Amino acid sequence: MVNHLLRLFPRLQAGNFRVTSPPDREYNCIAWAAGDTHIWWWPTGDPRKTHWPTAAPRLLTLAAFRDAFASLGYSVCESEELEPNFEKVALFTDLPNGIPTHAARQLPNGRWTSKLGYSEDIEHELRDVEGTIYGTAVLFMKRPRPLPLGQS
Amino acid sequence: MAILPVSHSLDAPPAETIEQRLRRLQAVWEEETCVLSNPDAITGHWAFQEIIGMGEPVIPLLLRDLEKEPHFWVWALPVMTGENPVQPSEGGNIRKMSEAWVKWGREKGYRW
Repeated sequence: MVNHLLRLFPRLQAGNFRVTSPPDREYNCIAWAAGDTHIWWWPTGDPRKTHWPTAAPRLLTLAAFRDAFASLGYSVCESEELEPNFEKVALFTDLPNGIPTHAARQLPNGRWTSKLGYSEDIEHELRDVEGTIYGTAVLFMKRPRPLPLGQS
Repeated sequence: MAILPVSHSLDAPPAETIEQRLRRLQAVWEEETCVLSNPDAITGHWAFQEIIGMGEPVIPLLLRDLEKEPHFWVWALPVMTGENPVQPSEGGNIRKMSEAWVKWGREKGYRW
């Protein structure tokens, strides 16, 4: 089931990640990072093809992805380090072009969750999905983590 | 455009049916794009483009797939038909886009 992931992402090894959902064509990494499991998010030119927040330009640039997450309440932060009470996302770009490729969202335990294209969701260490396909995590953003139900 | 590092034999067996050719190309395309999120990279893959190039005869098979479950054929059909029944408000909703194309296919008289 996960052999293709081990082949595509050499830093992933059995035991350091886990699959958390089956493959699904209805949402992608950006949607998953944003908390959406029904829509494919990407800044294509044609709005009939993909969803993209209206507050962000439909451009394949890191700034456009930053603006998309800013529209969800995220602001740029310095690092991937876990900060209690904050939820972080990491934006990846390829090398050497700096074109956005992927986003991951940090879990309360400090690990990260990614939807891999239209393949599975996985829980992983952030840098374990870096490489020739996604490039490198280059921008981090955070917002206050929603309180558990019953707390205010 | 990122293409996943997988190599395949491109040799087609003789006397393939349209569906056999579709499934052969689909398998290659899915294996080599399954972890990508950029629709332009996914649909720019040579196998996806070859499916688009199969033209009218393959459209009923794509519509049949769309009736079964949401599928990225919704990104091929506008190119193949020159039409697009998807409303801008439904963009990215692969399920609703698939439903719109199935409805379009029935209205156009396709059978599958």
